[in-house]
Amino acid sequence: MSSSNHESADVEELSPEQLRLEAQIHSAVASVDDPEYPGISIVDLGLLETITLDSNDDVTIGLIPTFSGCPALAVIADDVVDAVQTLTSVANCTVAWLNAPAWHADRISHEARSCLERKFTVAVQLGERSPTCPLCASKTVEQSMFGPSRCRSVHTCTGCGETVEVVRG
Amino acid sequence: MDDFETFLNGGGIVEADDAMPDEYRQAVFRFIELHANSEHMGGLTERDWIPRTPGLRHKMAVIAKTQDEFGHGHLLYMVAADMGVKTRLEMLQDLFDGKSRFHNVFHYRAKTWGHQVAIAFLVDAAALASQQAVFKNCSYGPYRRILKRIISEEGFHMRLGEDRMMRIAQGTEMQRELFQQAIDDWWWPALQLFGPDSKPNDMLLRWHIKSERNEVLRDRWVQKFVPMLQSYGFTIPDPGLRFDEELDRWVAGPIDWEPLKKTFANVGPDSARRIGEAAAHWDQAAWVRNALDTHQLTNA
Repeated sequence: MSSSNHESADVEELSPEQLRLEAQIHSAVASVDDPEYPGISIVDLGLLETITLDSNDDVTIGLIPTFSGCPALAVIADDVVDAVQTLTSVANCTVAWLNAPAWHADRISHEARSCLERKFTVAVQLGERSPTCPLCASKTVEQSMFGPSRCRSVHTCTGCGETVEVVRG
Repeated sequence: MDDFETFLNGGGIVEADDAMPDEYRQAVFRFIELHANSEHMGGLTERDWIPRTPGLRHKMAVIAKTQDEFGHGHLLYMVAADMGVKTRLEMLQDLFDGKSRFHNVFHYRAKTWGHQVAIAFLVDAAALASQQAVFKNCSYGPYRRILKRIISEEGFHMRLGEDRMMRIAQGTEMQRELFQQAIDDWWWPALQLFGPDSKPNDMLLRWHIKSERNEVLRDRWVQKFVPMLQSYGFTIPDPGLRFDEELDRWVAGPIDWEPLKKTFANVGPDSARRIGEAAAHWDQAAWVRNALDTHQLTNA
């Protein structure tokens, strides 16, 4: 998907049917969870950037990866296509991985952030300050720049000693 | 101890700083250390396959899986070290000296891409089933919380494993033969991963570290994978395997536990090479640790 295409899709007036369909597509994409965090939608993680409908009711979902080498891209794209194709008014769905804008942890919604903290004991780093412990809210100290994934670092809590994974900003 | 067991039976969760009977501390520690060692050894196996993995899609997944396994090992070593039995360095040294244990499946060599597919498909599923059974009711809080994340990620590995299996199963005759050979080589080690039937007085069950008996987990795995592999036209290398009409279940033949015992004693088919390579890898990476320490000192 070229950027000029993208712009023209934005300025084009959508009919009420198309607006309704766009909302349905949005919910379908939102039903897809991150493969490593069941229960957290990829939309809440800030992966969805554009929904482009053309006159044939073909739809292109523009997603941005948290980092470009992420191994989950193929699985996420498959899940999005499956979810969107269940809508009868969609003819064809394709996923485009966009190069810009770059993903940042501030794209994670407030709900997803608190779910990461409560359900997975995972904190989110916003800005330079080390995030607080999801269990006791004390300061955490970085132990390792990378954890099980390149998008996460490993910290320990200075209060309760919990090992905390942190989504890097 | 009676009070403590009543506490555990009532769903009590033990935290790192809580008082706990020493037997419990030792048992939980040994269990987490075994898990940490296994993740570490698993990471090294995956790493071996980064340059040999066919195709970019699979290669990306193997790179990420390597990172995952080392990351899990890292988290688990931290949780284990917090129990105050051994430091992380002591645990690693014991691993390299062949003094501690890691899962049986890492005492065999992954020789072909077919083996890697069988490992990702059969062995990872067995490991995930065991971890889920621990997570479900685990009385040690820090381990339970780490497991929650590990399980979500291992679940993702399972999808990659299924993807690999489907591709090779629908591939050429040569690819199918390669995979059949891999099933023949890895079926028994995967089955043995669950261990022999749980003893009636298994303390891990009693203290709510495990929540299901080994034989129950093993049986569930058999019920899933026998029909699945057969539906793709592959055979199971168990001459005693039969379908019991009355029970409406697959029943595995007798299991030879000798190979498992050998891996426990670190004298499995590939134990010496694996342990030697793990130790060599640790030494080779010393400069990275030094560089990181220097970086932290200069920035402190």
